[in-house]
Amino acid sequence: MMISAIVFGSIAVAAALGVVLMRNPLFSAFSLVVNLLSVAAVYASLDAHFLAVSQVVVYAGAIMVLVLFVLMLLNLKNESEAPRGWLKMTVASCGALLLFTSILPVVLPAVEMLYRDSVGGEGYLVEGSVLAIGRLLYSEYVPQFELSSLVLLVGVVGAVMLTRKQSSDPSPREGGLLGGGRS
Amino acid sequence: MVELLILLIKVGFVLNLGLTLGSICIWIERKASALIQDRVGANRAGAFVTSQRWYLKPFLPAIRLLGWLGVINTLVCDSVKGLWKEDFVPDGTSRFLHAVAPVIAVLPVLLAFAVLPLAPDFELFGMWVRPQVAPIDAGILFVLAMGSVAVYGVAIAGWTGNNKFSLLGSLRAAAQMISYELPMGLVFVSLIVVYGTLDVYAIVEQQQKLLWGVIPAWGVVTQPIGFVVLLLAGMAETKRGPFDLPEAESELAAGYFTEYSGMKFLLFWMGEFCEIALFAMLLTLLFFGGWDIPWISLPEGAWWGALIGHLVLVGKILFFCLLQIVIRWTLPRFRYDQLMNLGWKLLLPVALVNLVITAVLKVVL
Repeated sequence: MMISAIVFGSIAVAAALGVVLMRNPLFSAFSLVVNLLSVAAVYASLDAHFLAVSQVVVYAGAIMVLVLFVLMLLNLKNESEAPRGWLKMTVASCGALLLFTSILPVVLPAVEMLYRDSVGGEGYLVEGSVLAIGRLLYSEYVPQFELSSLVLLVGVVGAVMLTRKQSSDPSPREGGLLGGGRS
Repeated sequence: MVELLILLIKVGFVLNLGLTLGSICIWIERKASALIQDRVGANRAGAFVTSQRWYLKPFLPAIRLLGWLGVINTLVCDSVKGLWKEDFVPDGTSRFLHAVAPVIAVLPVLLAFAVLPLAPDFELFGMWVRPQVAPIDAGILFVLAMGSVAVYGVAIAGWTGNNKFSLLGSLRAAAQMISYELPMGLVFVSLIVVYGTLDVYAIVEQQQKLLWGVIPAWGVVTQPIGFVVLLLAGMAETKRGPFDLPEAESELAAGYFTEYSGMKFLLFWMGEFCEIALFAMLLTLLFFGGWDIPWISLPEGAWWGALIGHLVLVGKILFFCLLQIVIRWTLPRFRYDQLMNLGWKLLLPVALVNLVITAVLKVVL
């Protein structure tokens, strides 16, 4: 279990590097897919099956497909290298450092737990089952859960508002880009 | 060590079952379509085979029968032909992605079989065996996840085709698969509400009972609307039947796999038929009691009971494969806006209402 977690973790890191380093935007997107899938594999190897499956369904399955859609339609060319100034570099490095330090409080205890487990301590308990997650989600984190659904609702309403045409034509064209329809 | 061996045997068995059912579907498709269209269908290759070799002689009648039934033509000749054909890669695309796409289209379908149980538990040499590769608690959600990964195979295939037909086909396919995943997921949620579990084995086990001592407690009895919605959504998900717009020959050449030939093309084909088998298996396990024979209970733990259960399961799966193929050869193709309207304006609301009704009934009863 530990070995597969390490293997998939390294794949995830490599794929994350690929997202940044690839010249073709489409290949970056595919690297992100590989990254998300290998993170799901890490979850699965830690026995958090439900978390793994929802990672695949939500991120790899739904969100990235839409990103790919857009990239394929735009038919982008390879990115050319932007000029690098020292100011840009400094700001970017500071930002990266800030982000890194902000996730440290989450990462460090996990690393400590893993270490304790590997030297043969009492072991850590991974709560990744449907029951455990559901219980937490609907007892301790109910306000956050409901608020996030509200955020999603706002997003849906916003999308509908943005795509609705402000024309006087009462019958919108059917079919659109993908189909013949009765246009 | 023994456990690893058992796991490997299970994996081999499940993989074999998926591929075999897929091949049988291909044969059924060829012969059933011929019958529906009043043709004879494949009946030549191997039908007149003769040989003077002594070791072949006892098998000749069987080979001739298989040839006459079209099995040799559809399964042996076609795949050998596919192997020897030129592997064509269009200009100006990534060769890597072109090669990877059919694999991504097939692999998730075969992986999804891992969470589906094949027979009731049985005891063999003093060990209890559960004929299911991965008894994870996320159960049917795994099938849904694999379905959403399969979209990538189609999307990449269309993009690497480097022409408009392929790209339009893959966009249609991806839009269709994502749209119909929603009602499918909602039906799964209502099933979870009814059975209180995500594990497919536990769901099948709960269907072995009788309702009021008479009717078998199959999913189709407790979730009739869910069954209809899943049947339609699943057929759209396999991109076949009246829902085959991504590969509509009259508009898009062959859709997303226009630029594929040889074995890569056959991989797409195989994936499609394995998906039919997978979906038939899902319908059987979730709505038709799996290995359940109504009013007859199989002996618990006996290996021959498990074998009978498995054969019953396979029989039901083949019935649903046949049903899908007959529907595919009977109904004409939808128009694209009709397809989207069916998904978003009919199936999704119906599935939502069904979920609400199910939840209310679950609380009340």
